[in-house]
Amino acid sequence: MTSQDLIVHLNDLDLLLRETMDPVSRARLKKLGFGLEGIARLQAARNRTAAEAERRWMVIYERVRQRYGKAVAAVRDRVCLGCYVTLPTTARPRAVHEDPLSTCESCGRILYWG
Amino acid sequence: MMTLGTAPTVSDLSLYIPDLKIKKRETALAEMVSCVQRAGVVRDGELLLELLRVRERLGTTGLGKGVAVPQARSVTVLTPRLVVARSLKGIDWAAPDGLPVTLIFMALAPAEWSEEAFHGLIGRAAATARLQRTRQRLLSAPSSAAVAAVLREVSA
Repeated sequence: MTSQDLIVHLNDLDLLLRETMDPVSRARLKKLGFGLEGIARLQAARNRTAAEAERRWMVIYERVRQRYGKAVAAVRDRVCLGCYVTLPTTARPRAVHEDPLSTCESCGRILYWG
Repeated sequence: MMTLGTAPTVSDLSLYIPDLKIKKRETALAEMVSCVQRAGVVRDGELLLELLRVRERLGTTGLGKGVAVPQARSVTVLTPRLVVARSLKGIDWAAPDGLPVTLIFMALAPAEWSEEAFHGLIGRAAATARLQRTRQRLLSAPSSAAVAAVLREVSA
């Protein structure tokens, strides 16, 4: 996985982990009949992904996650779906040598351009 | 495979898979993700597939009675979808009753969606196949239009 993939996947895993750990959410899913017995495996997958991600992006990721709950925001039509601010045209990393990850100038979330 | 919008109305018959010719759960997920990607519902199929695999390792999404509701809430998903596929031979999904899965409702939502909204989508999928009569009608439907009609009727 690329550094961007790792951060995006980590964000997805954290969403799933939170959903699974929350008592209300967990009860709802169990009532529907879903198996949730593998939390340890999910936590291990999360830790492995975090360990593989670039350290500097992990620092940003954890800081933003603590603040907002979700560290990564998708971008659609140049709008950050975390804070709904229109991003400048220069916000998207384009050159090969540029870091594929960037943050929203408004909210600080890591942007996923897809 | 067939997708239903936020409100459970059939919207895209081109995505209907009437019979997954696959025996394994992982391959079935990959096949469905591949179709979803072709439809432009997801930005990165590989990441979505990996998340679906992790979800299955957390616990089976097989609900019994031949029904499975694999699910993913991800940044890579562009629009919420409930994707429907059939397998006439059945797929081993490690369901609690041990029965092979013949109806699959894949629930996909963007990460911006709240847990409550996402669970609403999952709940609608599970409810759709709760009645034996509905399951039989879905399995015996001769065309995608017939499947769509059953889903429309059930979700009305």
